[in-house]
Amino acid sequence: MSQPCFRMKGTTLTSIVLEVVSFEPDEFESQLAEKIASAPLFFTRSSLILHLNAPLSATEFELLVALCRRHDLQPMAIKGVTEGLKSTINDLGMADISQSKISEKPLAENKPVEASVSQSQQAPAEAPAQVETVTHTVEVVKPAKIVARPVRSGQQVYAEGSDLVILGAVSEGAEILADGNIHVYGTLRGRALAGVKGNEQARIFCQNMEAELVSIAGRFVMQENIQNKCWKKPAQAYLDADALLIEALS
Amino acid sequence: MAKIIVVTSGKGGVGKTTSSAAIATGLALAGHKTVVIDFDVGLRNLDLIMGCERRVVYDFVNVINKEATLNQALIKDKRTNNLYILPASQTRDKDALTMEGVQKVLDDLSKDYDFIICDSPAGIEQGAQMALYFADEAIVVTNPEVSSVRDSDRILGILQSKSMRAEKGQSVKEHLLLTRYNPERVATAEMLSVADVEEILAVPLLGVIPESEAVLKASNQGAPVILDTESNAGKAYSDAVKRLLGEEVPHRFLDVEKKGFFKRLLGGK
Repeated sequence: MSQPCFRMKGTTLTSIVLEVVSFEPDEFESQLAEKIASAPLFFTRSSLILHLNAPLSATEFELLVALCRRHDLQPMAIKGVTEGLKSTINDLGMADISQSKISEKPLAENKPVEASVSQSQQAPAEAPAQVETVTHTVEVVKPAKIVARPVRSGQQVYAEGSDLVILGAVSEGAEILADGNIHVYGTLRGRALAGVKGNEQARIFCQNMEAELVSIAGRFVMQENIQNKCWKKPAQAYLDADALLIEALS
Repeated sequence: MAKIIVVTSGKGGVGKTTSSAAIATGLALAGHKTVVIDFDVGLRNLDLIMGCERRVVYDFVNVINKEATLNQALIKDKRTNNLYILPASQTRDKDALTMEGVQKVLDDLSKDYDFIICDSPAGIEQGAQMALYFADEAIVVTNPEVSSVRDSDRILGILQSKSMRAEKGQSVKEHLLLTRYNPERVATAEMLSVADVEEILAVPLLGVIPESEAVLKASNQGAPVILDTESNAGKAYSDAVKRLLGEEVPHRFLDVEKKGFFKRLLGGK
């Protein structure tokens, strides 16, 4: 017997599920573009499962696939396939996984992005084609913005959608902002605003607290109210039931 | 290729021109061919400090406008070899400087000189930004008081964001020059100490120039104070120039001088 030319193996695979609730091409494309712009690296060339939750004609379906591809997404399988679409999907060379069980979780805003991931494990080749789908979630975190130079008076640094790490000092008259947490390993003398888009879980940590102002999710404390607490000490600021607390890190 | 060094501060009256004149003279004395350019167009002072005000015929703006050649405008210093001055115009304002014009002058000077010292005007506007834009290194002149320190901090931020090197993703080497330092007033907490200023600005210390009558005298006589080798200020500038050239020199004049027996006897201050 000659050497086998191939081996069949089981594998797992991660993917984003795009659930189509309604389809109006222009609107769909603009919303898609906006979503991708919020985390371009995360979405680039992602493989994609389309979950059809709206009645689509064959032409509309082809347009949907074309729009996804235009935005660098790679639709590969379809869930929720109606009878009328089966041949189109076949023609486009995609898989119909309507029978598979997939649980989907929405991608959250202002939190580490949670992507719903489906893992399918394929049975050995001889067994009847049987696809078992397990799901679990992984957190996709946008990396923190790290600033290695001191932040000088008059400068402003903003970490959009992520944490902010400042290795040097933040001078008086400087302003640092982040959608996530803020860490300052030098002296914090300027203004620090964490959770600027409303994330109430955000915190501010600094090695030496001499801030002009500290703010989390819109609530703030001025210098005169910091001076009697943990002035010139390592400190953290966080929200506790609407109150902004600043305390020394011991 | 010349090394371009801007002397800047943000705040006015802290000693930029005095320091530019002293450091340029010091570099020339050490054998480096040096030119010092007055960027303070409209408020020209450098020629007075250098004692060449009567020899100004053409100026920086004339060269930029091609009304004179660089060699016509450059003034050779009479006291120090290797030292040249490019004076500012007194009759024009800072808008007369153009980016292309300044670049052309600096490129031309770069071919013949070892060091180009740019004496920046005060402020953070166009004139000051023009002076620092092409710099390889910056000497930030600071007085030991809070407003001067904050302005220096501001100008350091501009250096690392709006200079040509910053735009290319490189950094401008920073030096801190603390002037008008008075150890007695630091001891009584009327003045910020060297450590306070260093902590706030986080820039390597090039030198500390003690407050000295010799500085005013030198300015009025039109002789850079570094030439007054008897004075503490002159010695401190010499040390700073050595450090700029890479030598390790300990800092002097940081502590209160102990009064000698006779001084005490005579009740000298």
